[in-house]
Amino acid sequence: MNRSGLIICLAIAAVVFPGLTALAQEVAVAGAYAPAPKLTTADYPTIAGVNSRIAVWIFAQLHLWFAAFVLAVPIFVFIIEVIGMRTRDKRYDDMAYEFIKVAITAYSLTAILGGMLLFSLILFYPHLFNYLATIFTESMFYYAVLFFVESAALYIYYYGWHWLQGGFKKWVHLTLGLILNAAGTTLMLLANAWLTFMMSPAGVDGAGVFSGDAWAAIHNFLWNPINIHRFVANIAYGGSIVGAYAAFKFLTANGPSERAHYDWMGYNANFIAICALLPLPFAGYYLAAEIYTYSQQLGITLMGGIFAWLFIIQAVLIGTLFLSANYYLWCGMGRSDGAKRYTKYIKYIAVVLVGAFLVWFTPHTLVLTNEELKALGGPHHKILGPLGIMPAKNTAVNVMILFTALSFMFYRRANKIATVGWVNAGNAIQVALFTAGIANILFLGIYHGYFTNTVYKVAASIPQVLTTVIVIVGSITLDSFIYRGSREVAPLHWGRIPARAQYALFLLAVSFTWLMGLMGYIRSGIRQHWHVVDIMRDASADAFTPTLGYAANVVSVAAILFMAMVIFVFWIAQVSGNKTLPAGYWKEQPP
Amino acid sequence: MRQFLTVVAFTLLTIGFFAAYSNYGIPQIEPAPPPKEEKLDLAAMSPEQFIALGERIFNGKGTCTLCHNELGRAPMLGNLADILPERLKDPRYKGAAEDLEAYLIESLIEPSAFVVAGFGKKGSNDAESPMPNVAGGSIGLAEAEVAAVVAYLQDSSGAEVTVEIPTDADAVEAEEEAEEREAITEPDLLMAKFTCPACHKINGQGGDVGPELSKIGASRDRAYLRRALLDPNGDIAEGFEADMMPDDLGEQMFVTELEVLLDFLTALK
Amino acid sequence: MKIPRLLQAVLVLAGVYFGFVLVFDVILDAVIPSSLLAMYMFFATAGVFMVFTYDEEQTRELVAPIKALVEDPSKRPWRNIVFAILPLAAGAGTYVQMQPSLEAPLELRTIHPAPPSTAKIYGKRVNLLKLENPFRKIEKEDPDRFRELVGEGAAVYIRNCQFCHGDKLDGRGPYADALNPTPLNFQDVGTIAQLQESYLFWRITTGGPGLPKEAAPWISSMPVWQDFLKEDEVWKVILFLYDYTGHRPRSWEHE
Repeated sequence: MNRSGLIICLAIAAVVFPGLTALAQEVAVAGAYAPAPKLTTADYPTIAGVNSRIAVWIFAQLHLWFAAFVLAVPIFVFIIEVIGMRTRDKRYDDMAYEFIKVAITAYSLTAILGGMLLFSLILFYPHLFNYLATIFTESMFYYAVLFFVESAALYIYYYGWHWLQGGFKKWVHLTLGLILNAAGTTLMLLANAWLTFMMSPAGVDGAGVFSGDAWAAIHNFLWNPINIHRFVANIAYGGSIVGAYAAFKFLTANGPSERAHYDWMGYNANFIAICALLPLPFAGYYLAAEIYTYSQQLGITLMGGIFAWLFIIQAVLIGTLFLSANYYLWCGMGRSDGAKRYTKYIKYIAVVLVGAFLVWFTPHTLVLTNEELKALGGPHHKILGPLGIMPAKNTAVNVMILFTALSFMFYRRANKIATVGWVNAGNAIQVALFTAGIANILFLGIYHGYFTNTVYKVAASIPQVLTTVIVIVGSITLDSFIYRGSREVAPLHWGRIPARAQYALFLLAVSFTWLMGLMGYIRSGIRQHWHVVDIMRDASADAFTPTLGYAANVVSVAAILFMAMVIFVFWIAQVSGNKTLPAGYWKEQPP
Repeated sequence: MRQFLTVVAFTLLTIGFFAAYSNYGIPQIEPAPPPKEEKLDLAAMSPEQFIALGERIFNGKGTCTLCHNELGRAPMLGNLADILPERLKDPRYKGAAEDLEAYLIESLIEPSAFVVAGFGKKGSNDAESPMPNVAGGSIGLAEAEVAAVVAYLQDSSGAEVTVEIPTDADAVEAEEEAEEREAITEPDLLMAKFTCPACHKINGQGGDVGPELSKIGASRDRAYLRRALLDPNGDIAEGFEADMMPDDLGEQMFVTELEVLLDFLTALK
Repeated sequence: MKIPRLLQAVLVLAGVYFGFVLVFDVILDAVIPSSLLAMYMFFATAGVFMVFTYDEEQTRELVAPIKALVEDPSKRPWRNIVFAILPLAAGAGTYVQMQPSLEAPLELRTIHPAPPSTAKIYGKRVNLLKLENPFRKIEKEDPDRFRELVGEGAAVYIRNCQFCHGDKLDGRGPYADALNPTPLNFQDVGTIAQLQESYLFWRITTGGPGLPKEAAPWISSMPVWQDFLKEDEVWKVILFLYDYTGHRPRSWEHE
């Protein structure tokens, strides 16, 4: 498997890169770059009746899912390894090893799918690929080099895990992990540059003539916003997939000790996913705001036009993510006997979460029957209308994040009794912090959202985010002081968790996968009929923007393919450990 | 195995729910198709497309069908290929063309080179054509557009299409572009644009297919003229035939232009 | 007496449902759209499920009556009744859902479609991304002159717009009831307060026929005002719209 992936990549490199170099030389001889080609429908080959857009779409999506997974896992494997080194708790080291084992089988699939994406681009969109390749020749070359570095680092990191243990050798291993992550992240940054160039082209003039400054093309307007968003989302995604893996192992575990191990693994994976999930909406807002700043037309296409309903689907999915993550935490309270003290608050958290979620979900354009239209006297709803716009949604998501953090704090406290003298004062401060924070978020949302002009409307989201961050960081820091030297109510029973909670982990992973597919569609879809916005037009028969249902169907098919491949990857990881001893099959060897 | 199948079923159900919600839970708005390219790329055109472009210009921007129609205001053009040899030998022919292509271009640019008997300007004894130069004035066809019209005329009269698609000419503006025009505020330009003088005489200039308008403001009021412009067949002046004046001026003109024209006409006393 | 947990859950959901209906339809006199209520209830159900099942013991208590109904031999008559009623109820529900009604099909339109980047208005091709209200800068430079311009805009509004959009700019003019979609309510925070002046200029000058396809142009009766109003009149009306409602046009620069 691994080897075949490498061979395919080598083959691609052998075919593509000399071609690219030749192309670059040709351009260099000519002295100037050509403008972006103006294409007609005839410039797009039809091959074996395959719908070219769907082919590229599905390969790109599958590649991205796997890439997100194999980039994220080494990041938190590295962190877990460090934690293990610091605490000298071998369980962490074992878990890190099990995570990376899951990732390494996915790695070759990532490479294969990347190759398929490249092939389908060259076959179906040759002129687009050519144009991009003239601009990104160098970065494509470094991409190939880095890919080999990453592969080498990954193989040594994984296969050398048990060899490089203890003392100096562990440091060497850790350094390898760092190289692996640096290479992987740089790979992602390069690939991001190619796609953000298509959204916010830079380094080219109005006709698409390349200035020759590769860095300008890479460092285009939307590059960093996408980098941040993808980096954070990848970690959350990696966590959720590993969580699903642990959940499955938990459900099929033999005996309590195995169950305890996979419960613990699932908990940690979910913890990583939630930590990355909390800042994700902010990264998303930053990206959207930057898209607006770059081009209002892209911005309105994104938020106001045909894609407006997509954000309602997104709201359903993100709501699902938050609710299932919370549900998992609540179920996990059953692991400790002290949790009874906190369970009575859960229903209030649930009410706030669901309430905030309903606000978040309320669409700007309501679907009304004619009777309702008459009763309301128009499509405007005086109560629900104001909930449909950004300030209300910003407020709602901040409240959701705060209460998810609260769920997590309750979970952490569940089995502990504080012993410091100032417990009550500390708790009072925390309550005050939360109350003031929520009041501030509501004030900012309502006052600035509805009673001041747009500049402040957008600006108000920043103090809201800051409030949320301060409250979360402040109260968790305070918590760690309050519970310093605390005693446990009873030993924590890992594995004492209902099977339903494992399904919450599956739901998290599936929703995350599907959501990424959907958002990938809109990120790419807002370009509409442009390959490279305002520079290179898409003249193919598939230049039209599909309806949301069509996109959702493609994403669903891709998601099912991905899930099937993930199951295959997990299965293959397990098969390597199975052994069959066929009696009487082999010749007896004379002693 | 049972656990495995349950998990698979759960996953499929979840994905199915999301897909179903996206298809049936929210309205399916079909985005507008990509806008048409604003410029026609002549280089990429097939001869058929070029002829079709000529036909569109003939019926639209060129305003040819205003006169070259069944009503007999101008000769029909379906038999050009057959009568050409005769035409070129005709002593009244003042042009220099030797084949159909050259003849057609010539008659589009210099309509008076040959005037078919009975179709000349009144009083010119068929020496002067009432047809304007299509490359100039209000019609203003580009060189490539003239070529396209010639291709269409060759094709529709059964002759071989000899016109070559110009490749070095500037790309022709597409139809939609041509129709998006600025509102005209000068009555003279407006009359020229809608080729009123082709039929109506004003201060000694123009044809006599329709009533003379030199003193129309004295005899007709604004409301009548408005009606006459918007619904020309509603009330035909004595001695003139119905169905001669285009009845879609109301759609072609901006509302402001209609007012400009009415101001001008009512002031003619 | 302790209420069984299953009944509790059902009661909570019924409470949420009737709560919404009571608050919106009765107290606030603003009906809640049935499509939205259906989704609200879906997520409320999810929330109730979560709260009632995170604990193993409580879950057992919740499902006990259902389990008993299906498994307990002594409940056989009940089981038979329930098993007969459930499919019948499902069938009746489907029948009611699928039955054709006299209600006209839903019209869905995007109220704020994305504008094109350029548009041909007053015979000029204007870049909507960069277009600005030429009078806006006077607001600071010469407030008195600005008041005058707003006044002129108000006069244009009263002569042309108020018949549909209303003298209070609330979309309830004398003709409003005859129109579907109803005229826009400018007082609403979701309309002009969210838009730039160039967007309003585009919408006013090109009217219903200028809407892109996804906004279903054939049902908007907004006239193409560039045929009736002068360019500066349109900009003055826009000044008036913002001035009267107290909204600020959306802009991306601090003032």
